[in-house]
Amino acid sequence: MTWLYLLINITAGTIGDLLTAKGMSMGGELNDFGPRGIAHLLRYILTYRLVLIGTISNAICFCSFMALLSVAEVSLVVPATASGYVLKAILAKWYLGENVTWRRWAGASLVTLGVALIWF
Amino acid sequence: MMSIEADLTTRNTQLKNRIFVALVVVSNSVGNFLLGLGMEQMPNFRDIPFFSYVISFATNGWLLLGIVLMIVFMLSQLSLYSWADLSYVLPVTASTYILSALLSKFFLHDTVSVARWAGIVLISFGVIFVAETPVRSDDIALEEDR
Repeated sequence: MTWLYLLINITAGTIGDLLTAKGMSMGGELNDFGPRGIAHLLRYILTYRLVLIGTISNAICFCSFMALLSVAEVSLVVPATASGYVLKAILAKWYLGENVTWRRWAGASLVTLGVALIWF
Repeated sequence: MMSIEADLTTRNTQLKNRIFVALVVVSNSVGNFLLGLGMEQMPNFRDIPFFSYVISFATNGWLLLGIVLMIVFMLSQLSLYSWADLSYVLPVTASTYILSALLSKFFLHDTVSVARWAGIVLISFGVIFVAETPVRSDDIALEEDR
């Protein structure tokens, strides 16, 4: 059961991050963080399909994380779910067309190694 | 040469970016910590009826506070995506793991092993590497053209 939850967590988290990043970047830079701005953000999340599907995917990722915490130690859960950093950097370049410089590759790789070490 | 107005806009964006990165890191790590604390107090899912489990969940203060913080985390991360690349946001906000390790050391009195300190150092270098890059791909192209 742990591995199934983990697979769901990584897949849903990766899809969620990619879709929300793409959807939010298409809506323009946010500058208003007052009540009207937050209302606009919530309306955008609920009505823009990419962001909505991405957010639902992130909610599935969150639920599977909670399920993982109930069946496994946090010291296993956190590094295992963090293994997607490099995968997301690859997909950010391929799917989002981002300019992933060597510094960003190095950063993503160091973070993945660091997270693996931190919980072992 | 950059105009004063453009310079001010860049500074405002940098300040906004720093505030939101901090918001993502703090809300995510403290939220996860509280959810972990709350889940430890929960009965086993299979041991009690579903309705009783839902009642226990909805009346656990740590879990409710953890969920509020996770909503703050979600909204601030979505806001970050509106002006920053995914390949920038994810490594930079990985400081969450450092704060999570420190929270478990100081509040749960976990021991921090040599491997764990090494992990903290590696993540810190990763964050510094990425934090020094422009937040958007367009800005990287501009910087390379200069």
